Amino acid sequence: MRQKRIKMGGFLAIVCLSLAMVVGLVGCVPAPVAPTTLTIIMEEVPDTDVVKELIPQFEAENPWLRITIEALPYAAMRDKMLTSFLAPESIYDIVIADNPWMDEFASAGFLEPLDERIAQTPDYDFDDFVGPLRDIGVVQDKIYGVPFYNYALALIVRQDLFDNPDVQAAYEERYGKPLAVPTTLEDYLEVSKFFTEQGIYGAAMQPERGYKIFEEWKNWLYAAGGRLMDAQGNTVLDSPEARRALELYIEQFETSAPPGSLSWGFDDALRSVAAGEAATMMSYNWMLPTLNDPDGPAGELAGKFALYEVPGGRGVLGAWHWAIPHNAVNKDAAWEFISWLTSKEIDKQRVILGGAPTRTSVMTDQEVWEKGFGREYYETILSILEDAEPLARGKRAEEVIEVVGTELNMAVARDKTVDQAIRDAAKQVEEIVRR
Amino acid sequence: MQFLRLPLKYRLLIPLIVVLLAVLIYPLIFSFWVSLHDYRLTALHEVQFVGLANYIGLSGKMSYWNALRNTLIFVFLAVGLQTIIGFGLALLLHRPSRFRNFFRAVLLTPMFITPIAVGLMFRFMLNLQVGVLPYLLDKVGVTIDWFSPRLALFSIILIDVWQWTPFMLLLLLAGLESLPVEPFEAARVDGASAWSTFWKVTLPLMRPVLIMALIIRMLDAFKVFEYIYAITQGGPGERTETILWHIYKVGFRFFRMSEAASMAYVLVLVTLVLVVALYYNMKRGEYRP
Repeated sequence: MRQKRIKMGGFLAIVCLSLAMVVGLVGCVPAPVAPTTLTIIMEEVPDTDVVKELIPQFEAENPWLRITIEALPYAAMRDKMLTSFLAPESIYDIVIADNPWMDEFASAGFLEPLDERIAQTPDYDFDDFVGPLRDIGVVQDKIYGVPFYNYALALIVRQDLFDNPDVQAAYEERYGKPLAVPTTLEDYLEVSKFFTEQGIYGAAMQPERGYKIFEEWKNWLYAAGGRLMDAQGNTVLDSPEARRALELYIEQFETSAPPGSLSWGFDDALRSVAAGEAATMMSYNWMLPTLNDPDGPAGELAGKFALYEVPGGRGVLGAWHWAIPHNAVNKDAAWEFISWLTSKEIDKQRVILGGAPTRTSVMTDQEVWEKGFGREYYETILSILEDAEPLARGKRAEEVIEVVGTELNMAVARDKTVDQAIRDAAKQVEEIVRR
Repeated sequence: MQFLRLPLKYRLLIPLIVVLLAVLIYPLIFSFWVSLHDYRLTALHEVQFVGLANYIGLSGKMSYWNALRNTLIFVFLAVGLQTIIGFGLALLLHRPSRFRNFFRAVLLTPMFITPIAVGLMFRFMLNLQVGVLPYLLDKVGVTIDWFSPRLALFSIILIDVWQWTPFMLLLLLAGLESLPVEPFEAARVDGASAWSTFWKVTLPLMRPVLIMALIIRMLDAFKVFEYIYAITQGGPGERTETILWHIYKVGFRFFRMSEAASMAYVLVLVTLVLVVALYYNMKRGEYRP
């Protein structure tokens, strides 16, 4: 019996020893390294959804990196980013910066210069991004952002109405010239009035105070030959051209826009056009695929919309850029992701998936034309982007947009005369820039 | 450890004092310090003392005074309407009725909805394109743009009245229920009409409750922000730009914290004057045996 116990004890000792050896050996194997997670702040827009679709591919190619996207409404982004910039360590490894924020953030030292990283990235071809888009990311000769997507403004029209022989005949009879998509402000006003007479509002506008009206009216300002600032950064808004642009804008609003649209933003204008209530609108170029989508908001009208350059040919350029905070923890990994996503190859995939284009090579690529929205669409966007001017530049662009946009809206609401609104807007811009 | 020698009653106050210092006194002192400096969040390395320049500069800022004017109109009209309607409803609900509790519960509902949700709800309900109210009005041949320059501030006032009248109702109903019955019995014995009982008995007895309710509601109305944020963003033009929205814009969108702080201090001063005036009024009319 005793012998049996000894045998049993020996067996147990062997088992324990074996287990200890196994555990010991396992301990010698290095523990798997947890992947680094990159956190990105983005806006809740369709272009963010496109990026989300590409993330699994990036994570498969880079198993040591994981991407987390924090998508927020536009109004909540800037505050969160600023708080993050002021912290010892940024919450976000990557941020996207809107056009008006770029100079402000870069000048405050919140963003990491990217020149060296761009130069060291093989086949990146930074010059392939369309010039005006590329320039927005450059502040005081340093690159702080690489283009993510554009939101240049364009003229979206109901092509079926312009092509309708009855409508064409009615227009010719009324104005003594053929109906055509307008290329000047005067033509635009005339065409809009004509459509309103025909029972469809000529233009769905976005005169909401602040950002929206500023963004739309600035196209009118360019078309009238005016500018907000000259090349030296001096305010040149107080001009006869600006007054003319605002007078025409108000005339268009009062004669051809749907009633009660004084507080409309782009979403209201989109709803109006999609519902067949209005014949044209000046809006973001990427709205065209939305309107022409058979499952989109336009329903039976899908496929009847076309994209053109804004009257005058020079449109307002809005753009989002990828950037790395100065206090980001994983700067190299952040660039790894940005350079991958904005590389020619992946950018092409992004655009085919529906993202707004930024690279010339992508917009001239046959595969993109075939799998995307057609050659005409991309060629029109390319020509819009090549001539476009940034929405606003300067360290206080956000404030400039707000005050000018408020004055413009007051003029449209007839709270101020055109002359008073332009004078007050120019005076405030001068003060803001001087401050 | 000097404080350990303090009597227990003082030592028990210490946690409260520490909390008050941390969450109330320090932010107040810091914001006042900020208002005396050029303090921009995008240029924290360039902070410099400017004395009262931010306060003096406010005199020329027409947008600020316009926002203050809009806020005062909002506060007086909204709180005024809430008091009148709330008092009327409280008088109705004070009477014994079979469905009294049901009506009380239903009437109090709007107060429990978060203001931002109320703002979004009315933004769509009053929208000319998709709103149910313009649609119904259109059916009877009436077209009203609730957010037109003329009506926008009034619409915001109505939304506030919809949401916060129940609060007035709640306070005033509690006040009515706590009134002594003797003066009313005496009035009845003296043959006073319902109207003169209301003017000569109910209203004077309710005066302290009414003024307290006005002060509480007024202080809250000065802080109107959510409706503006969700519906008009201050537009059209500057028609609905209220003071808190303006301060938010300057401080958190333009990052000019010092200017925003000075604006906030002027607002505190204006509010304080109004509250003290109301409080003094209440004290003056108080019954002294």
